[in-house]
Amino acid sequence: MLFIELFIQGLIQGSTYAIIAVGLTLIYGLLRVLHVAHAGLFTLGAYLGVVLTNQTGSLSLGILLAALISGIVGMAIYRLVYEPMLSKPPYVALIASIGLYIGMEEIFRLVFGPFGMSFSSAPLQDIVVFFGIHLRTCQIITVVTNVVLLGILAWIAQRTRIGTGWRATVDDPQMSACFGINPIKVRYMVFFTGSALAAVAGVMVALLTNIVEPTMGAVPSYKSLAIIVLGGLGNVFGTLIASLVLGILEAFGTIYIGDLLDRDAIAFAFLIIVLMIKPTGIFTSR
Amino acid sequence: MIKKLMLLFVVFCVSLYFGTVWAGDTIKIGFNAPLTGFAASDGKSSTFGAKLAVKQINEKGGVNGKMLELVVYDDQAKASQSIPISNKMIGQDKVVVGISGSYSGPTRSAAGIFQESNIPYISAYAIHPDITKAGDYVFRTSFLGEVQGRAGAKLIGDILGKKKVVMITLKNDFGKSLAAGFKEKAKDFGITIINEYEYSIKDRQFGAIVAKVKSDRPDAIYASGYYFTAGPLVSQLRASGITVPVIGQEGYDSQKFIEIAGKAAEGVIITTSLDRDSDVPETADFIKNFEALAGYKADMVAASAHTAVKVAALAIQKAKSTDPGKIRAAIAAISLKTATGTIEFNNLGEVLKDIQNQVVKNGEWHHHSVISDPTLLAPPEK
Repeated sequence: MLFIELFIQGLIQGSTYAIIAVGLTLIYGLLRVLHVAHAGLFTLGAYLGVVLTNQTGSLSLGILLAALISGIVGMAIYRLVYEPMLSKPPYVALIASIGLYIGMEEIFRLVFGPFGMSFSSAPLQDIVVFFGIHLRTCQIITVVTNVVLLGILAWIAQRTRIGTGWRATVDDPQMSACFGINPIKVRYMVFFTGSALAAVAGVMVALLTNIVEPTMGAVPSYKSLAIIVLGGLGNVFGTLIASLVLGILEAFGTIYIGDLLDRDAIAFAFLIIVLMIKPTGIFTSR
Repeated sequence: MIKKLMLLFVVFCVSLYFGTVWAGDTIKIGFNAPLTGFAASDGKSSTFGAKLAVKQINEKGGVNGKMLELVVYDDQAKASQSIPISNKMIGQDKVVVGISGSYSGPTRSAAGIFQESNIPYISAYAIHPDITKAGDYVFRTSFLGEVQGRAGAKLIGDILGKKKVVMITLKNDFGKSLAAGFKEKAKDFGITIINEYEYSIKDRQFGAIVAKVKSDRPDAIYASGYYFTAGPLVSQLRASGITVPVIGQEGYDSQKFIEIAGKAAEGVIITTSLDRDSDVPETADFIKNFEALAGYKADMVAASAHTAVKVAALAIQKAKSTDPGKIRAAIAAISLKTATGTIEFNNLGEVLKDIQNQVVKNGEWHHHSVISDPTLLAPPEK
């Protein structure tokens, strides 16, 4: 019974990782930029979700607006920060991204205060009991949202013209441009989608913990980098599997090797082991 | 052009002169607190607490005919930040007393520097035992972690009569020293510790630990943490169907804990130093005035910083001087009723105070019980 419960808890945790990391891997796949500030958009989404839900009383509206606004901010980050740096070596964009993330943390603190914010009446906290396992509705919703959103993303990427253009740009930007695909549009689209997903992940985490803090993106900022490396940089499916595996490993690790290894260190121990065996990550992108 | 430059130079010199004169009219107390970073909320509260004390003292005419001035620096709860800050307070600002409104890491580093410079330093709420061991110029107006841990064992084993306990320990100075004190006295109160789980200060999702605690079937849970970790932890424990008492400590001591945990916070008991239902005038007065100044409910860190400033001010007054050596002697000999109890130091600069147990009732902290056992709560003498 305990094993099943730990497995489920791992899936829930892994689902939040997946929604954050997918956006990151999409951006890496397209621009070869390690977008650390993605975790800032995750925090922004969480704050907007809490503030807008408290203001409007509607969680759906809160999530929708948080995703929309974070998506637009994500596009602005591309336009104002990354685009001017694309011709520079990749570490330039990485350093800018780290700086941007730190700046965002402090902006959140100045705007929303240092105490952290909570839902005035936290939604989706009803308890559902499955065979003696107590789950909150928000935990179930987190896993379902992960499956649905990533399912839609996979469908768009594989079955639609937009997705074809998107994949073509990732594979060969110059050739796809010759076929009339506008790479700039694709980039905006990827930043919008990735950032909106990060915002949804932020709201999900806010529902699970009922606290949103300026520093809440700190752990995801580096853990999601480990996840996308594990998943094979740029590989969406690999990222999904790596997130879930990591979530489950962490759940078991916290209980059985917690004295030996911090939960946050498990991701990196796992990363080191995988890279030693398969340096391209669990799933190679191409 | 030269005339203009000369004029500017004169203005600069004059302003510098008056600056020094004005600065000389106040007595400076240094204050380091985490105003940014993960502990910024505690830093904000402790700063409000300290400012309230300074305001109250200055409204009554200051100390020895001079106004107090609080020189506040942000240490980000980092030891690496508190070192340059302490040097600046001592070398540049010429503070006569330093106060830590911060956590153990930065306080330990700063304590060494103040000790070397022979300037008194008071830790308001940092709990690590090494802080006062820095030397005779360092004092602490709150409990040591170990002392509070021992009180936790008495609360669970004796007052509540619960014997099978699971510990959930925050993996830092604070959590570890609480756990050490709790384990030291657990046997004396007939407590069996079934299991202990550790978590990092960054954790907010405790699904795995909660699942395991549930399978352990304890009578009570002793969980260390700050409001931002304890809020999510308690609500997740309750959501999993665990109904046994959860016992925390002063890290929970904030209205924010109740806000985060919501209904799950009801019935949580903590060991702390601020009694919300106290009729002691110093405490009641602090609670009322803090809310008026800060705009939110008082918490333990604010009360502790307020206490530390009051101690420093009285010591300066008793010393009738700003000579750090005389102030140190006055602090060591002090006896003062404050918002967090009566402050009297032992040879190591530690205090012996009652532990106030608070319980969450109807969304607010209220009095639960008091532990006043001088043997159990005795701080170390060296």
